[in-house]
Amino acid sequence: MNQFKFRKVRNKLFLFSLSIAAVVCLAPLIMVTSFMLQKGAASLDLDFFTKLPVPVGEAGGGMLHAILGTIYMVTLGSLMAVPLGLIGGIYLSEYGKGGISKALRLATDVMTGIPSIIIGIFAYILLVVPFKSFSALSGAVALAIIILPVVIRSSEEILKLVPKHIREAGLALGLPRWKVILFIIVRGNLSALFTGVMLAIARASGETAPLLFTAFGNMYLSYSPMEPMASLPVQIYTYAISPFEDWQRQSWAGAFVLIILVIGVNLGARFLMNPKALKNFLKRSSS
Amino acid sequence: MTSKKNVLEVKNLQAWFGKFHAVKGVSTDYPEKSITAIIGPSGCGKSTYLRCLNRIHEEVPGARSSGQALLLGQDIFAPEVDPVELRQNIGMVFQKPNPFPALSIFENVVVGLKLQGIKNKAKLLETAERCLRKAALWEEVKDKLHQQGTSLSGGQQQRLCIARALAVNPPVLLMDEPTSALDPIASAKIEELMQDLKEDFTVIVVTHNMQQAARVADYTSFLMLGELVEHGPSEIIFTNPKQSKTEDYITGRFG
Repeated sequence: MNQFKFRKVRNKLFLFSLSIAAVVCLAPLIMVTSFMLQKGAASLDLDFFTKLPVPVGEAGGGMLHAILGTIYMVTLGSLMAVPLGLIGGIYLSEYGKGGISKALRLATDVMTGIPSIIIGIFAYILLVVPFKSFSALSGAVALAIIILPVVIRSSEEILKLVPKHIREAGLALGLPRWKVILFIIVRGNLSALFTGVMLAIARASGETAPLLFTAFGNMYLSYSPMEPMASLPVQIYTYAISPFEDWQRQSWAGAFVLIILVIGVNLGARFLMNPKALKNFLKRSSS
Repeated sequence: MTSKKNVLEVKNLQAWFGKFHAVKGVSTDYPEKSITAIIGPSGCGKSTYLRCLNRIHEEVPGARSSGQALLLGQDIFAPEVDPVELRQNIGMVFQKPNPFPALSIFENVVVGLKLQGIKNKAKLLETAERCLRKAALWEEVKDKLHQQGTSLSGGQQQRLCIARALAVNPPVLLMDEPTSALDPIASAKIEELMQDLKEDFTVIVVTHNMQQAARVADYTSFLMLGELVEHGPSEIIFTNPKQSKTEDYITGRFG
């Protein structure tokens, strides 16, 4: 009986310490978001989304160009990286046994670990120096390099989770391997693959360093891939280190919008492909 | 029973995993429209043997096989035989029910035909109904053909997998312990279904359940350590086996 009591106490103690650890883990996230909410939401107005920057000294203006720029470059970068990443991930999971795949796996692991500023420098040398101009294209390429390894590894891991007997069942129907992979394995896991892709894109859309000396930034609307282009993270950075109070205020607003964007893409990816999760989430948050 | 022609004649079939000799020269004939059960202790090579017959064994890295298996007179291991085409003629049902994820019940049944290029919607619907009826699942799913296959119960999933295999219309159907993951009621349904399948197909079933073999199979093979110990009509194997090893096994003295 005594021993039983001791076990119960020990259980409670353990549960308590784990709960503390969980709270500690969540604390930074909660603090960052609440800080952004306070500072950012207060500085947010409709102009922020619809207007371009105004000269220093004048009040008002917004970050329309930076919001569009971020969407532009992230989309362009994703178009380059996502198809390639999916192909790489499928290759690693379905055929990945030989030397090439070992090399590819090592390369993606190394690529995931490369500091993003280095990727920025790489894109700078590759596309900015030869063309003698900062460009949205070079920014998009830098973002693509960030997205690529994440997509490769996440899709590999997702497809590896598919049990072997599902593949065998496909082969046993008399289907060639490529059809089994494409129309049964990949098709059956589209939602998970999509989530992985969206997480990679969300991560890239918050990157500042790779855009600093590739897309560089500007103060007006630009749609040309060969010209400098503004982006939310760089605009936030520029405004935050400026001495002007109105710019700093807008920087907070920008940070708030960026964080909402990233969280939105994250949650959107989960719910869009899995409506049941949305229902559960709403039920949980309403009760 | 004796006048039936053989659909499949296996001659001296051997199989390896790397250096491990898993199947050591098995020869058996499978008469048309019959059920043959393969029994034997765990690890005796029954599944491996079965998996050689639709050449899915060779998909495992390091695995190989040799010997002959004549499907309607054509050796399935001949170099000119495309394993993909062969598998359209020898279907398989696996131990665990494995409907394809994210595909509906209907799509699960017709996926084999669809991916072979058959687009005719009416024909696919007709096939789906026929195969689901044959698999004794139609009445339970006819109102929810567009729900996911994985939403069904285990026993229903297994019958869905049988319907999926039937849709390709293979003369031979291999079943690898099809009821071992199911409860007795679901198993009984599958056994009943196997009797119906016999009208159109030649069935070879690996099973751990000797009562099942005795109930459903016309013929039974007893495998041990990769060798075929005895093969014959089930009523003889289970009542009056020639080999003492067979008798020891079926009476539960080992295994």
